[in-house]
Amino acid sequence: MVTNQEPGSDFSFDLVKLGLRLSEDDIADVEAEEVPSHLNTNNSSGGFVVVSTDKLSVKYTSCNLHGHDVGSVQANCPAPSRRLVYYFEIEVVNAGQKGQIAIGFTTENFKMKRQPGWEPNSYGYHGDDGLIYRGSGRGESFGPTFTTGDTVGGGINYATQELFFTKNRELLGTIYKDVKGPLFPTISVHSPNEEDDCLSLQICSLKVHLHDCPFLFALLWYQDTLESFDAASNNTPIPNPMIQENGLNEQGVTFELHNRKILRQLIRSGDIDSTFSRLWEWYPQIVQAGHIEDAFNYARSELAKFFEIPRLEDLLQVFNDNSAIQKFHKIYQNDTIALLAYEEPTKSPVGHLLKMNHREVVADAVNAMVLSTDPNVKDAKSCLQSHLEKLLRQLTACCLERRALNGDQGEAFHFHSVVNSGKEVKPASS
Amino acid sequence: MASKKVITREEWEKKLNDVKIRKDDMNKLVMNFLVTEGYVEAAEKFRMESGTEPDIDLATITDRMAVKKAVQCGNVKDAIEKVNDLNPEILDTNPQLFFHLQQQRFIELIRDGKVEEALEFAQEELAPRGEENQAFLEELEKTVALLAFEDASSCPFGELLHISQRLKTASEVNAAILTSQSHEKDPKLPSLLKMLIWVQNQLDEKATYPRINDLSTAVLEDPTV
Repeated sequence: MVTNQEPGSDFSFDLVKLGLRLSEDDIADVEAEEVPSHLNTNNSSGGFVVVSTDKLSVKYTSCNLHGHDVGSVQANCPAPSRRLVYYFEIEVVNAGQKGQIAIGFTTENFKMKRQPGWEPNSYGYHGDDGLIYRGSGRGESFGPTFTTGDTVGGGINYATQELFFTKNRELLGTIYKDVKGPLFPTISVHSPNEEDDCLSLQICSLKVHLHDCPFLFALLWYQDTLESFDAASNNTPIPNPMIQENGLNEQGVTFELHNRKILRQLIRSGDIDSTFSRLWEWYPQIVQAGHIEDAFNYARSELAKFFEIPRLEDLLQVFNDNSAIQKFHKIYQNDTIALLAYEEPTKSPVGHLLKMNHREVVADAVNAMVLSTDPNVKDAKSCLQSHLEKLLRQLTACCLERRALNGDQGEAFHFHSVVNSGKEVKPASS
Repeated sequence: MASKKVITREEWEKKLNDVKIRKDDMNKLVMNFLVTEGYVEAAEKFRMESGTEPDIDLATITDRMAVKKAVQCGNVKDAIEKVNDLNPEILDTNPQLFFHLQQQRFIELIRDGKVEEALEFAQEELAPRGEENQAFLEELEKTVALLAFEDASSCPFGELLHISQRLKTASEVNAAILTSQSHEKDPKLPSLLKMLIWVQNQLDEKATYPRINDLSTAVLEDPTV
């Protein structure tokens, strides 16, 4: 692999990294998690319940009301955990004679003939007594009873590691979630003629994207979170860029702006010869021998020309004929020459140099290099990233770290999804 | 309680380096800000210099800004006509917005000392809306109270005459137009910055790590142990 990072050089660019900013294939694992979509018909307690063909409704059929004849049904997969909150709801169509309905969460090995909450590693909110059961046959007072016509919901808040339950969309309370593994949304019926209609197991299982946050917190009554979000954002003023326009920072931000603008335009349009002559004129210190690292990168910008030259022989020809390349040391020719050693240059380790967006990369590198000639800049590497990029990196890293410290549960932050989410929000009507 | 995890600057910088931020995404973010805030010239220049395509026809920004500006200058009648030119459905489907615009018109009449005209306008345009909706009626009562005072600014609801009321109405219209264009009404950039502050505060509870305290310089501060 090519390297341009000689020890001791205080100025070097990792073009591979720069190029990554343009690559298309770096967002693989975004929200690939399966979300429960229906009830599991294979794993239900046969004989006691009938799951309807839409796989979203259940009915109790047995007449024996023994404590081991409960009809429990799990969702087809565990609640997704790579998000802030998971939530599902059921509507009780008919509570039956005794109203023994329960909603809760269970682990994979849960016994389907028992109520959720009675067994270890399970939680259940029971309709007939309004009690919450967590791994015990003895319930704890929790909320009201629920019966025919009620909509009842169960959710997991991964941020606080709590379970919560709702009745008719009002939050009843939360309990600590001590089971760390996957939990299945579970419902159970235990009374003739009981029928739960799971409106949809996905209802309100919101995928939280950034702009939904305050909305979701409000929806789910996480007032504290909402308030801390608001407080944080209000107490720390977002700096107004207008104020700084006349401030001291201006120098750093607008350093050589005009020249950098012209260089960027030239590189983007592929006019590399003009780019070089301008650079010689304006910033000879960068191009001069001795600044090998810098020149190295300029040699690479030569390659931007090769976009239009797909054949290897032509590539060689250009290489030999081009007078500009003679201005540079043999050393950095090695890198570009390396391209020629491959049958398919785009697949070579230096193939990133040939990618379509390479001009953009080169333009960024040149831009950063010119910035680094600003005598006020202490850390040349910091020129590579704008403030905006630094803030976004910090944001992403913080979100990931917070999630990691939370046992890898909770919402992951993907800048790419956030930026590109707007279009999907469009109403499907019209 | 377990002690906080300590993340050194070196470790943190490695994490920061591993973050993948695509440049065209950043450009989109900037474009989204310019477009939503209505910086149409800047958006056009940015489109040319960066090659980032705005997700909305830039010409519609000019129209939107004209409406916003009309409200900000107190030319509410003008603004209402402009909105209807743009898309008649906007006011038809937003009774609240329409009420607020009419209310603003009334306020402007009082500001100009046109009391009789204001009274007539209130009877003809505002009162029927108030009958339709209890919330409008309450707002209407407050607004009409302005008439009862010789010096309207000393009225308990005198803040209605304040310039901030215009800005409030203007931003409501702005948001409604954006929504009608299937565009989000708030730019993403400020929310992301808010989120950064928020998530850093959250993370503070569990870990010590290099923070960015000053958003305007984006300087990474050494962790305090």
